[in-house]
Amino acid sequence: MTDTVVKINDLVKRYGDLIALDHFDLEIKQGEIFGLLGPNGSGKTTTINCLLSLLSFDKGRIEIFGREMTPVSYDIKKDIGIIMQNVAVFDELSVYENIDYFCGLYIKDKEKRRQYVDEAIKFVGLEDFTKFHPKKLSGGLLRRLNIACGIAHKPKLIILDEPTVAVDPQSRNRILEGIQDLNRNGATIIYTSHYMEEVEQICTRIAIMDKGKKAAEGTKDELKRMIKNTETITIEILDLPDKVRKQIASLDHIYDTGFENGKLTVYCSGGKHNLLRVLDVLQKNELSFGRVYTELPTLNDVFLEITGTALRDKED
Amino acid sequence: MQVFKAMMKVTRRWLPSALVYIIVFVVISIFASSSSTKENKFEVTKLDICVFDRDDTPESHALIELIGKNNNLKHLEDDKDVIIDALYYGRVDYALIINEGYAEKLGNGETADLFGSYHIDESFSIVYINQFLEQYTSSVKAYLAMGKPLSEAVASAENVLTQESEVDMFRGNDEGNEHFSVAFSSYFLFMPYILISAVFVVICQVLVVMNRKDLRFRTNCSCIKNTSYSMQLCLGSVAFVMTVWLFLMVVGAFLNKEMYSGRAWLAVLNSFIFSLVVAAIAVLVSCFEPKQNVLNLITQVIGLGMCFLCGVFIPASMLGDNVIAISRFLPAYWYVKANSMIAETEPYSFDSVMQCYMIQLSFAAAMVVLALLVRRVKYSGAAISTSVKKIAANS
Repeated sequence: MTDTVVKINDLVKRYGDLIALDHFDLEIKQGEIFGLLGPNGSGKTTTINCLLSLLSFDKGRIEIFGREMTPVSYDIKKDIGIIMQNVAVFDELSVYENIDYFCGLYIKDKEKRRQYVDEAIKFVGLEDFTKFHPKKLSGGLLRRLNIACGIAHKPKLIILDEPTVAVDPQSRNRILEGIQDLNRNGATIIYTSHYMEEVEQICTRIAIMDKGKKAAEGTKDELKRMIKNTETITIEILDLPDKVRKQIASLDHIYDTGFENGKLTVYCSGGKHNLLRVLDVLQKNELSFGRVYTELPTLNDVFLEITGTALRDKED
Repeated sequence: MQVFKAMMKVTRRWLPSALVYIIVFVVISIFASSSSTKENKFEVTKLDICVFDRDDTPESHALIELIGKNNNLKHLEDDKDVIIDALYYGRVDYALIINEGYAEKLGNGETADLFGSYHIDESFSIVYINQFLEQYTSSVKAYLAMGKPLSEAVASAENVLTQESEVDMFRGNDEGNEHFSVAFSSYFLFMPYILISAVFVVICQVLVVMNRKDLRFRTNCSCIKNTSYSMQLCLGSVAFVMTVWLFLMVVGAFLNKEMYSGRAWLAVLNSFIFSLVVAAIAVLVSCFEPKQNVLNLITQVIGLGMCFLCGVFIPASMLGDNVIAISRFLPAYWYVKANSMIAETEPYSFDSVMQCYMIQLSFAAAMVVLALLVRRVKYSGAAISTSVKKIAANS
């Protein structure tokens, strides 16, 4: 039994002249929460559609649970759960009926299904709403129903495609905690999102996709180490003579500086005690300053440096 | 049977709309069957007339007797208020006063001031009775001019005015078949409209829901086979159509006051086949995923259009050759034709009835093939690729 849950080898998908996936490789291990980051058109959705055999591809091979995935791999599909960005439930059925229907597509045994449905309802906290119809539920409750429909059959691999879009912070936290609970219960998770902080919060490994290719892959720390920036220092200062700015820029491990609207920004690459050395220059030049803060690189910085543009800018 | 069960649950939402069509049809059929008689005789309209004879002569008596032959004579108190009340409340249609000196004036050939009257203005009874009185006095005057004495002129005029025209109601066949009367065949005749309306309003909507893209996406990711999914949808559609058809058949048996027998079974089979045709058309329409208002429009266009063109609402004998030529391409035409043959309003031939069945079944098969083609194009990889490509191009 292999511990690799998903293995994508040299995947190529073309739409006419457009190359949606360009020799794409990916390997996801059992028990991971794997984040797939990338703007629209990066090939993220195409990857998921190919993974689920909803789309044919031109070249490559996809293996799930060590077996090749094809449109008729029903024995593989029974262990996969999908939660989409859009709430895909029947308006005509109640909360219980919806979960029961989608669970029933996988689980034939009635008793077992009833137990699974009850557990899914409890897991997402919809116990008080089982007889409600989706139109009577709030946005957050609808998302929870959407998740319950995708996980009720206890899949070993769960694909979540931006499940927190347009969800209030409270529901979002609950969903993220739920995903981590599912992972603790043994499910491997593939998680796509535009919210980098979410990916950073829950994902154990992340792949950044751009133009159908994998731009980078690793844990969040590994990704952050891949980029030049290790620390960004911001100092509120009324005036900064060019002479002083040049002194700061010439310090070791500082590769760029900026001064705008009374704020000095210093970009550091490696090194230690960068902040102390910058403040020391300011004090020697008898310049008074206000608030001082430093930031470690975020996934957005990683994305910015790797793809040359911010993720959310691209989305917009 | 998870999909089938879900489909039945979704059906509940649109069931009331279908029930409205069915209940209205059944109620109208019950009224129609209770009011229909075997003798559809022509009958002359009779008015309720009260006559006040102030002349009291044999001639005035003769006139009253003549009026009584074609109308209902009513007796009222000779009081203006009583008469006006009776006219107002519709107890009488016309109050005629034969003025004093009527016989004398009539004998002299005078026609002015012979009568007085009370009536409601603009009532058709005024025209009717005035025309009658004018005809009567003119006839008497004519006979007098011919040299006949007054008593003979009155008798001759009476003789002329009591002659009736023979009126025959035109019907191809009044009785119909022994087991399938013309009256009962009309219940089957109007069934296409109800089947189309009730089935479309439910099946199309339900299939549109069951094939909603996001739900299909989720279903396609599950381990249910595509063929199994489609088969269960098909089974659900047929189950609903058969339930509606069976209900209409049971109601038909009640209206007929006896169980189907003999050739009536052919009509039952005819309606069964037409139900299958309607189900197939509904499946085809649902493939285009119309919105509810568009679907209502399609239902009315197909339902009313087919029924008007194919002789459901208007007898085929009244339709023009061009219309008939077009309607031959519609299944309802063959349904109506088979129904007419079974009821023997058209010459009956078992082979021709079978031919009608086969043509209807061919329509159903053609609709199913078309639906499969549309689905193949809509849900093919190419279609998905196109939509993904559009998204990629827009991003």
